[in-house]
Amino acid sequence: MALLKMEEWYDLARETNWTPSYVSQDELYPAPMSNNFDIPLEKWEAFDEPYKSTYRDYVGAQRDKDVGAYSVKAALARAEFFKNASPHWKALLALHFSAVCWAEFHSASAFARMTRFCQSPGMRNMATFGTLDEIRHGQIQIYFAYEFLKHDSVFDWCHKSSKTENWIIISLRHALDDIAHTRDATSAAIMLNMGLELAFTNLQFVALSADAAKCGDHSFATMLQSIQTDEARHAQIGEPIVRIMVENGKKKEAQQLVEISFWRMWKQFSALSGIGMDYYTPLEHRENSLKDFMEEWVIGQFGRTVEALGLDLPWYWDILKKDICSFHHANQIGVYAYRATEWWRPIAGTSPAEREWLEEKYPGWNETYGKCWDVISENIRNGDYEKTVPAPPPLICNMCGLEVVGTAGNEWNAVNHHVDIDDRRYHFCSEPCKWIFEIEPERYKGHKSIIDRVFDGTIGPEPDDFYNYMGQSESERGTDGYNYRWVDGYDEDEDAEKKYATG
Amino acid sequence: MADFPLAINLQGDYGYKVIVVDDQNTIEEVINTCVDQIAGVFVAPFPEKTVLRARIHGADEPLDNKLKVLDANFIQMEALQVYVEQAQ
Repeated sequence: MALLKMEEWYDLARETNWTPSYVSQDELYPAPMSNNFDIPLEKWEAFDEPYKSTYRDYVGAQRDKDVGAYSVKAALARAEFFKNASPHWKALLALHFSAVCWAEFHSASAFARMTRFCQSPGMRNMATFGTLDEIRHGQIQIYFAYEFLKHDSVFDWCHKSSKTENWIIISLRHALDDIAHTRDATSAAIMLNMGLELAFTNLQFVALSADAAKCGDHSFATMLQSIQTDEARHAQIGEPIVRIMVENGKKKEAQQLVEISFWRMWKQFSALSGIGMDYYTPLEHRENSLKDFMEEWVIGQFGRTVEALGLDLPWYWDILKKDICSFHHANQIGVYAYRATEWWRPIAGTSPAEREWLEEKYPGWNETYGKCWDVISENIRNGDYEKTVPAPPPLICNMCGLEVVGTAGNEWNAVNHHVDIDDRRYHFCSEPCKWIFEIEPERYKGHKSIIDRVFDGTIGPEPDDFYNYMGQSESERGTDGYNYRWVDGYDEDEDAEKKYATG
Repeated sequence: MADFPLAINLQGDYGYKVIVVDDQNTIEEVINTCVDQIAGVFVAPFPEKTVLRARIHGADEPLDNKLKVLDANFIQMEALQVYVEQAQ
């Protein structure tokens, strides 16, 4: 019997919907979980994904991707690569795996809700593939990360981190909970797909993959590419949903969902990809800066996609253009200085040659953020290591959970936005973070930053109380990845190591 | 006497820090606490005779150095900027 071609049955199969008889449509798809935005079902059923796949084709393609990535030969090569990798690359791997592995499982959960509660069968079909994709991404990345456990216990955090109250994890979890887990499936589909996957996964997976290949970590590069091909497919659920909303008079709602989620994810990727690209990638393998990537892929490419869907560019687009040159530079100073609060071994990334690169990519860096590094470097040269660790904690943004920062040095510009509610002051690092809070204060006001938890007594007064709260034993507190040998240029000489190393 | 947390950004520093002062402290003492904790860590020590002032974030006018924190009508975690006063 001849088989039908895919194009002959796909649309019919995809558009076949349940007609509930024992319960009503509203009971089957309750508004708090499903939210049709008052758009009739037949309009949602017009959902037409740009990338079409059958389950048979999907499974075959995924199996082929896995075969290469999981090969024993690749695993052996990676073990050898890791032994010889620089502290830069090890820090980057630790940061990537401990932030991304469990976030993939979060995405799997979000896609599973879309599979159950999205309005049209086409959406649910695509979300099924998305769920399977994200489970795969979580599994394969934890598998890759755990290969390194025998060499470095920091990779324990690839799974453990999500279960801790570490301040960086609180920041990421708060953002993901907001866009993926605490809203209806339609909103989550727009926020997760448009605000995270379509906007930013290129940054982390494609750019990092290119860097990995340059560093000789070819199997990691291949694995990342295989993930990004999935992202590129399932991220396309968001576009048809936005198009349906715009065509049916719900542009304002779609616009706001995109604006909230994009900004929330930008802050996370600013720290993850920004520090990864501009400070943790070994200089000899670096080509483009975060600013370069953001201008091409996000401000350019994503911006064009948003407009093509009938939306406007987010109102804060000009703020974003400035933020890509500043926020992660300021945060990198804090990430390095408060290194004991992190589980990996942070890299300063500001040796003389790296500073030249930063100045070239970000003109004015030496006169601004570089001024703080001048002081840190001088303290290291003088053996005043205690002075490289600040006594007061940083102020944390009550939306993104990252530091409230401005411009340092000669162009000093203190940044602070705030809202007062019930005798409590909420601080924000940016106008968009404050704007998100003010849209729905009831949603956000109960959350406390790690610093709020110190001052309300949730965390005890002793230093160990702080680390215990964050799940960090003494051996899990970050130290300088180079034992300070970066300060005058990664001098591998033993005398230099003795000169700077204090542990 | 009670602890009072303030958010402070010292001129030249990359971001706000949280310091805890006594509510009986004067603004001048707050400035000194801020300088003790941040200058030499993220900001180069200021030359002798540098005059530092504090102002509420976004305000034009400095706070009176003799004003006590308790009397300043601050909310906890009030944001203050500590900056170098330019010679007239």
